[in-house]
Amino acid sequence: MSDAAYRRASVVTGLGLSVELVAAVHWTPATFILAAAVGAPLVVLGGAMFLRAVWRVLKDRGAA
Amino acid sequence: MLPVPIIIALAVGVAVSVMAYFGGPALAKARAGRLALLVGLVALPLLLSIGNLSYGFHESSQTTFCLSCHEMRRHGESLFVDDEHALAATHYQNRFIERDTVCYSCHKDYALFGDARAKLNGLRHVWAHYVTGVPAKLALYAPYSSANCLHCHDDARRFREQPAHQPVLDELTSGSRSCLSCHQVAHDMAKVEARQLWQAR
Repeated sequence: MSDAAYRRASVVTGLGLSVELVAAVHWTPATFILAAAVGAPLVVLGGAMFLRAVWRVLKDRGAA
Repeated sequence: MLPVPIIIALAVGVAVSVMAYFGGPALAKARAGRLALLVGLVALPLLLSIGNLSYGFHESSQTTFCLSCHEMRRHGESLFVDDEHALAATHYQNRFIERDTVCYSCHKDYALFGDARAKLNGLRHVWAHYVTGVPAKLALYAPYSSANCLHCHDDARRFREQPAHQPVLDELTSGSRSCLSCHQVAHDMAKVEARQLWQAR
């Protein structure tokens, strides 16, 4: 797995969790929507990016 | 602010992401490290997000959440008007429904997807607040459904045995007659303006 791939994944995941953290500290209807519409999808995207990178490594190993 | 344990858990999640960014190359070399990355970048963040949003959805049904928008302040005050015929006031003051969820209890449908529809309407409220502007006079998106009243009152003895209900009971339960055709005052805004409030006495 390339360093850049999981670094990108960790940035996206961290960004998503940061949005949720800010929304949890400053809890209003608007920030709740922000957490649900932006934070959570970023977390899912970050996880998917990490799993994709792992899958690519496993695929390359299989091919080798 | 949400409860401190949720905030601490989210902060830990962010810290783990930062550690994964800087310590990732070293961790990825060992099998246990790769497993730790899987937990730190996939399992833990997903768990935290699900927990956070679940709690958030629960909190968004609370009376304090609804009244946190200043547009709803006067409707919140209508819970305290000194008018036994005002539906919101009498339900709130007599504890006919849970005070913590008084708005949500009456303004969500009890049909399938009622919760989802209520949350989507909440989104429309926020959109109106920030984008299109709040109308001068607040109104429901659709006529109030008597099914919401009947969800609680349907088999209640006081409702069934009320003499005024007897001639129209079938119409009420079938939905062909609205409860509001007789109980016309839901929120007594005139008494809010006049400051005739129950707790002010």
